Amino acid sequence: MSSHREAPEISKDPVADNTDVYAFVSPDNLDTVTLIANYIPAEAPDGGPNFYEFGDDVLYEIHIDNDGDGDVDITYQFQFQTTLQNPDTFLYNTGRISSLTDPNWNKRQSYSVTRVRNGQATVLGEDLASPPCNIGPFSTPNYDALAQAAIHQLPSGETVFAGQRADGFYVDLGSVFDLLDLRPFQNLHIFPMPAGPGVNGLNRLNVHTMAIQLPKSMLTRDGSNPTNPNDPRSVVGVYASASRRQAIIFGPNADIDEYGPWVQVSRLGDPLFNEVIIPLGRKDFWNSQPPRGDKQFLKYVQTPEVPQRLVEYYPGVFPNLAAYNKPRADLVAILLTGIPAGIIPGFQNFTGQTLADLLRLNMAIPPSASPDILGILGGDLAGFPNGRRVVDDVFTIELRALAGVTIPLVDPSFTPDAASSVVTDGLTPSSIKSPFLASFPYLGTPYSGFDNPSS
Amino acid sequence: MADLTRRSFLQNAPATAATLSVLPAMPALAATPYSAGATAPRATSATSMVIHVGDVAAGEMTLLVGAQEIVLRDPGLAASLAEIAASAGLPLQA
Repeated sequence: MSSHREAPEISKDPVADNTDVYAFVSPDNLDTVTLIANYIPAEAPDGGPNFYEFGDDVLYEIHIDNDGDGDVDITYQFQFQTTLQNPDTFLYNTGRISSLTDPNWNKRQSYSVTRVRNGQATVLGEDLASPPCNIGPFSTPNYDALAQAAIHQLPSGETVFAGQRADGFYVDLGSVFDLLDLRPFQNLHIFPMPAGPGVNGLNRLNVHTMAIQLPKSMLTRDGSNPTNPNDPRSVVGVYASASRRQAIIFGPNADIDEYGPWVQVSRLGDPLFNEVIIPLGRKDFWNSQPPRGDKQFLKYVQTPEVPQRLVEYYPGVFPNLAAYNKPRADLVAILLTGIPAGIIPGFQNFTGQTLADLLRLNMAIPPSASPDILGILGGDLAGFPNGRRVVDDVFTIELRALAGVTIPLVDPSFTPDAASSVVTDGLTPSSIKSPFLASFPYLGTPYSGFDNPSS
Repeated sequence: MADLTRRSFLQNAPATAATLSVLPAMPALAATPYSAGATAPRATSATSMVIHVGDVAAGEMTLLVGAQEIVLRDPGLAASLAEIAASAGLPLQA
């Protein structure tokens, strides 16, 4: 739900639905950054006979702005191609898949990676294998080995992976969209029920992941290695997108022709931006726009709806928030410009005055030895909104920010309500059945269909 | 009323429409550059294209050929296409 089915049109196009973006200094490879973009929300593990896959007709991209103008400076493009070894069977695989070239594996997907920098496009890799989906103990008995074999070291210096992984986003989807009926606090809700533990609505569901690990110096504007957190060159802004061709013609015999340039249909920088900041009437439009034009959405950040709903659905719990009627400059900084130096000791991820929804990573801040899932709110400068790590509890962080805990950063006269610093959906990374990995691509082993039936 | 299929359109279009593939001296208003570096999947043949007429009265239309988009304005051509639609029993709304 970071951005799962968050807009009307993209909710009908899961293959192009960008669900999560992560950007962090690799904890096991400190000179590198890892960028991850997930697509295809809520994949049921038992997805046969046509298991989930990237769209051959979608252009997937991860974009980097490294000079603070909101414009893209570097883009990594992923494009996929599906092939059938045997079109005369209905099966995805006809026997055990022991390797990425096993003849038993019928329906395969490979991809190319292209980097666009300063207007120059360079194909970095072609015919790179995606792993199969995790089917079960007979078809894919040693799945981790298959996934490991699908990690590719490119000659240009990047390491890439594209394939199925366990969804790493954890959120009590059912309670959040039952009008913020958060289980740990539902005794205080306008429709009160006994308090209870949170339930991860995305547990045992998969996604498709594109992941890149690359030297930090390949992202900076001048090729420098970022070591000074106060240096503007240390900060990059990241977002991902998906695009489709402008016109698609369906012929009478299942022939499909595509025409025209690519048109963006999905994008994602900060988690939950289009989800809970942008109103329904503008979500599709937001998905079509580049971040550099986000000034047009400023009013939704300055006067967000979530605080109003917290006050409405939890009467008497947020009195200070209810009385606060100034524009939310704290949220503008967190989401649209980055936090300038001097606000939080030892930290800045400011990219300039251009308002743009970007995930802003200060690459000079090293990973934490013991990450706090509340990120900067928990005193961990390596966590969200300094980029986003897979462990970060972005829902709770953003909920508390919306509830007012970050207002004092820009308005010291404001005292947050006590509830603002404890409100949560009650989940942690332990709410995910498939644990995160300590190495690339960091997201856990996808759930197998045999072991995780939808029922 | 016969369905107007793409094949029947090409077979039954009047002579003037046969020049669509040539488009001599059409005023191109804008050409959208192809996304740098991206390779078009399912590459279309050079003999096929798509025309989208956004405003018949103003003659504003978009021509899609391969991965290219050409925006042009030709009221006469738009009127001819609208006439073809009407003759097939598909009148356009005003």
